[in-house]
Amino acid sequence: MKVLKVSNWTIAAFVLPCLIIYIGLVFVPIGVSAYTSLFQWNGIVPLGMAKYIGFDNYHRMFTGDSVFWPAVRRTFLLAGFSMLIQLPLALLVAILIGRYTRKANFLVSSYFLPVILSVVVIGQLWKTIYNPASQGGMINQILDKVGLHSWTHNWLTDPKVAIYAVIVVGLWQYLGYHLLIQFTGIQNIPADIYEAAKIDGADGFKADRYITLPMIVPIFKISFVLSFIGSLQSFDLIMVMTGGGPAHATDVVAMHMYNMSFLSQKYGYGSAVGTFLVAMCLIVTVLINFIFNRLEKRYS
Amino acid sequence: MKPVDNLKGVNELTNGKKVLGVVTAAGLLAASLSACGSSDNNNNKNASGSEPASSAPASSAAASQSSGEKVTITFQNIYPDSSDPKYQMLHKIVSDYETAHPNVHIELDSLNTDQQKLKLKTQAASKEVPDITIVNPKAQMQPFVDADLFAPLNDMVQQNGLADTFQTGILDPYTFNGNLYALPDGNNIAILYYNKELFQQAGIANPPSTFEELIADVKTLKAKGITPLAIGEKDSWTGSFLFMNILLRTYGPGFLQDVTDGKTTFEDPAFLEAVQAFEDLVKAGAFQDGATSFDYNAGENLFKTGKSAMYFMGSWATGGIETSDVSKDANVGVFKFPTVNGKGDPNQYMLAPGSAFAVSKNSKHLTETLDFLNYFMLNYPKELFGLKGAVGLAQKVEGDFKAAGYSDMSITVMDLFTSVNGGDLSFDNTMNPATSQVHLSSIQNLFVKPDTDPSAVAKEHQQAYEDNKQ
Repeated sequence: MKVLKVSNWTIAAFVLPCLIIYIGLVFVPIGVSAYTSLFQWNGIVPLGMAKYIGFDNYHRMFTGDSVFWPAVRRTFLLAGFSMLIQLPLALLVAILIGRYTRKANFLVSSYFLPVILSVVVIGQLWKTIYNPASQGGMINQILDKVGLHSWTHNWLTDPKVAIYAVIVVGLWQYLGYHLLIQFTGIQNIPADIYEAAKIDGADGFKADRYITLPMIVPIFKISFVLSFIGSLQSFDLIMVMTGGGPAHATDVVAMHMYNMSFLSQKYGYGSAVGTFLVAMCLIVTVLINFIFNRLEKRYS
Repeated sequence: MKPVDNLKGVNELTNGKKVLGVVTAAGLLAASLSACGSSDNNNNKNASGSEPASSAPASSAAASQSSGEKVTITFQNIYPDSSDPKYQMLHKIVSDYETAHPNVHIELDSLNTDQQKLKLKTQAASKEVPDITIVNPKAQMQPFVDADLFAPLNDMVQQNGLADTFQTGILDPYTFNGNLYALPDGNNIAILYYNKELFQQAGIANPPSTFEELIADVKTLKAKGITPLAIGEKDSWTGSFLFMNILLRTYGPGFLQDVTDGKTTFEDPAFLEAVQAFEDLVKAGAFQDGATSFDYNAGENLFKTGKSAMYFMGSWATGGIETSDVSKDANVGVFKFPTVNGKGDPNQYMLAPGSAFAVSKNSKHLTETLDFLNYFMLNYPKELFGLKGAVGLAQKVEGDFKAAGYSDMSITVMDLFTSVNGGDLSFDNTMNPATSQVHLSSIQNLFVKPDTDPSAVAKEHQQAYEDNKQ
């Protein structure tokens, strides 16, 4: 690595500003947040006046909080749907687009469109779509028209279905994002491999099975991690569409953290939830990487 | 689902090992929400001294005028809507004051109510409270007072006779240990608005005066395909406000105070009765479909566009309803919240002392800020009266409303004020925030599960109260 004719000190000097900003904006806040999670603190009085309570916040969170575990469950539900439905679907569409269209960019851009729309716009749009028929809700009106009245729901206010209604919107919005990533990945697979395979008699889906899928694993991993972390953090869409309601039925971990910190004014407790979220992201990401590294080794 | 918009993270991921970057980026949301409190309280002492420009913060307003020292006062407020009379009033008074005091510049930070509440909390955590800000009465401003963030207004309110312009007793919810910390922008009561034409269509002659009549009317309206009561229950305080009015009838005033004093608990029969009555109302089909996904504005709009027959809200809604289409031809009437099971006094109201102006104790220009706020409050009722926004003020208003062109509905509302015979404050103004949040979601739950056992609701409340009392 001695190709560059600059000293390590020079490199350090150039990296340092960025590093300081990065540490200051990412690691320090996480540390501070972990520290405040040890206090019973309302976020308004100086921290020095707050009561130090050790790990009581965590103890309450894990054992005495009726909202917390269902919120965790819903967060993983979100991640599960995203990884098991959204990503394979994106991959399938990416493969089909790559194979059957000449000018794929237009299609990919169209799928990508919802990603660049503001979440608030998307949320309001889908709220209207989900509305009861009496208020012009599209889905319910269509169901009514085709004689499926018994299928109509108050999609966003029935505690049993509300979370799924929100998940669908999230899947829809970010399908294009993962499609773009995976489509690019497929395009980067050299064409001569396919040609060689064709001569050997591997064509169509057989080629996908033995060439596309193994070669796209590293890219798929990116999609996977991004979608998982995105799911854990999901907040804005739920805030806009249901506000976590009715009665916590659509609360996820990030919502719970927000509610506790700012509405219930239990800042220390909210920090504990936030710290849990960071830890969970860390653990799962390491886990995903481990699994994918195994997969990559197997196929390479 | 929502991917991290962090391409640097993507590159790191492809390298396999350096996952930390993405993970920490993921945690950024968590951290940024919780880190606002990271700044220590050193600023507390430095705030007035560290800035060389403000070397003489204690100089009198007159002195600073003559010296011509440039002064900027930040005025955080909740009047961002330019069609609102209060917006026009605010800008008029500020520009008048700036003309009279050329060295003073008032910087307006106009936000929606919820945004302002959130912003103030984060500002308070880092001790950067604006010179003038907005707080809500009693329990909601208590933590800020405990943190010693506000300057007492006891002396200022005596200047130029400002204290005498306020109604008797209205300053009490803003007074702690004998110190007045904020001046309210209004004083409202909860009432029911109704659409006369829709009532006629359903064949209902008079607005209900008992809860049983209300339920019967709800059923009649519902049968005609009319939404009986509009509500914006996504903002869960709206349902709580209505529920507390039922409780005010079944128990009488002071329930929450009695709970705090240990005289009763949430398992009081009157509380159970109120929950039951509320559930009956939901089960009768009183509210629009999907009520819990309507925010405050969307709920109110149902009534304003003539899509619902009744609307329960604080009298602050009067101005907006009056200027909407539905109140053409004196179509909107108002009535008092009915008795419940024959109990309660209709002249006892849910009282809503308004949002209030407080002054930061650490303001660099405390004297000038107090002087401006004094001027502002003195002119507040006069300017609003001219703009037809003077219904439900905390101050006495001089002038003939009828002659000034106020509608019959507005005048009826003002007549109701004269009938007030005590009442109660809303839940979140009385109880600590943590208990209030449990209450709000518990009531919201009744909208989707009206079969919940009232005693379970009571238990949930009692548990939350005991967990969170200090």
